[in-house]
Amino acid sequence: MSRQEHPTWEDELMPYLDGQLGAAEAARIAGHLETCDDCAGSIADSKRLSRQMSGWKVEGSSEKMKEGVLAELRSRSANTQPQTRWSWWTKRRVWAVGLSGAFAGVVIIVLASTREKTDLSLPVESALTISQPSVVPSAPMQQGREQEELFRLEKQSAVTVAEAQRPSPDLLPGPLIMRSARMNIIAKDFEGARSKLESIVLQSQGYLDQLTVKGEAGSGRVLSATLRLPSDRVDAGLSELRKLGKVREESQNSSDVTSQYVDLGARLTNARNTESRFQTILKERTGKLSDVVDVEREISRIREEIERMEAQQKEMKNQVQFASVQIEMTEEYHAQLLPSVPSSATSLWNASVDGYHTAEESLLGLALLILRFGPTLILWSALLLPTGLVLRRIQRAKTFRP
Amino acid sequence: MLEFQGGSTQAFEELFTRYRNPIFGFFRRRLNNAGRSEDLAQETFVIIIRGSERYEALAKFRTYIYSIALKQLWSERRQEIRAGRLAAEPVQTSHESDPSTAMWIRDALSQLDDDHREVLMLREYEELSYEEIADVLAVPINTVRSRLSRARGELRVLLESQSAKGVTR
Repeated sequence: MSRQEHPTWEDELMPYLDGQLGAAEAARIAGHLETCDDCAGSIADSKRLSRQMSGWKVEGSSEKMKEGVLAELRSRSANTQPQTRWSWWTKRRVWAVGLSGAFAGVVIIVLASTREKTDLSLPVESALTISQPSVVPSAPMQQGREQEELFRLEKQSAVTVAEAQRPSPDLLPGPLIMRSARMNIIAKDFEGARSKLESIVLQSQGYLDQLTVKGEAGSGRVLSATLRLPSDRVDAGLSELRKLGKVREESQNSSDVTSQYVDLGARLTNARNTESRFQTILKERTGKLSDVVDVEREISRIREEIERMEAQQKEMKNQVQFASVQIEMTEEYHAQLLPSVPSSATSLWNASVDGYHTAEESLLGLALLILRFGPTLILWSALLLPTGLVLRRIQRAKTFRP
Repeated sequence: MLEFQGGSTQAFEELFTRYRNPIFGFFRRRLNNAGRSEDLAQETFVIIIRGSERYEALAKFRTYIYSIALKQLWSERRQEIRAGRLAAEPVQTSHESDPSTAMWIRDALSQLDDDHREVLMLREYEELSYEEIADVLAVPINTVRSRLSRARGELRVLLESQSAKGVTR
């Protein structure tokens, strides 16, 4: 390097001054400085500046600061476990775990889709015979076919959300029908019809949801009842009810709630899974108090939702299992000859008392009328009477003038 | 730091012994209040203790600790600006240095552009390398070089002018 080829200040001389160059570069610059007074002068100026700056010294930190920091250190050591829990959680391992999870997810999806294709490729009957034994429990057998189907449905809906939402009616045991009926009957023997109605409910293994009897003089009694009859016995029950008297009005209604039931089951499963995940987070993860409160609030909300959906599911199940029959039974009224009440003497006495009261009331009314308008009449009479007399005299005087 | 992360309190004590005065000095040269400087230095170490679970050895510990200190400093300055007391406090000189020299240097540094002054102070007092300064300030290394060069030039001029004034008086 010649004297004319000066090294640049920012890229060479200053880094040399600050010890930021490699050994070879530093040696080259040092060689140049030996021969170049200008560059050596710049370096000397900068060194002087550094020396000046180093003249500004500060005192050391106090023991109070040391105590504060060491107290925090002791507090941390006492309150927390060694970091072995998180030390394995390095960036590389996050990636490794993430990739493993993704791979496992892909495998599950592939297996699930293969299984779905196999099931759907079978005839409907075959699919049913395969799926039914795996989900039908032995417990509900005694409660009739409808209950078995409901239980099976509930189990199926609890498997996974995706399976529950899959539109494959072939896999369902049958539609879920919610039935209701209404009947208006006129019964000759009201008491007999009522006891027979209760025996119909007992025989059908249903129950009386509500019953009211009203009766008024001059008309027949009316019975209003809501019966809950098992769905598989509702037709037989209605036939028996028709025999209670003359049917004046009858209507039946039914609605298919299969999709609502399956959808509700899927949402319930989803909510339970979410709740479980939050519970795991609460147990296994640490965080700020506000985060913990947020998670607990979320768990509480989901629990409320789960309970509401469980109640809906229970109600729906009940409505499918038991049809609702509303009965209004009117007694055929027969008028009866009864002795007149009260007696003739009492009637005469009552009439005379009524007459006395009427006379008293009329007298009182007249007195009130006089008191109300009397002063006004007297006033106007006092004003108009003299005027009338004067006018009359004038008239007479004109008439008799010769 | 990794040993401390693994549960060794002794490792932290060594770190603390090594950095307690440099970190206090960092704040002390940049703030007028000695008590507040000590508080911020203490807070810097407390942050390191509490954040040890999340520490990753992506850079030198020196870069890590000065990055935290710098954030603390900026936060403090923002608070001071809001409170309107940034320039109101009297300049306090250090007990351990020549008062006149310290005051000259402080006055001259205070007249530099903020960015230039920070680079120069990190180099001269904290003795960080260009690369470390670039990491701490999150700027390219060439920016560090140019700011440092300008800061030195400006400071030299300021000190010479102060020196000339002193001679005239």
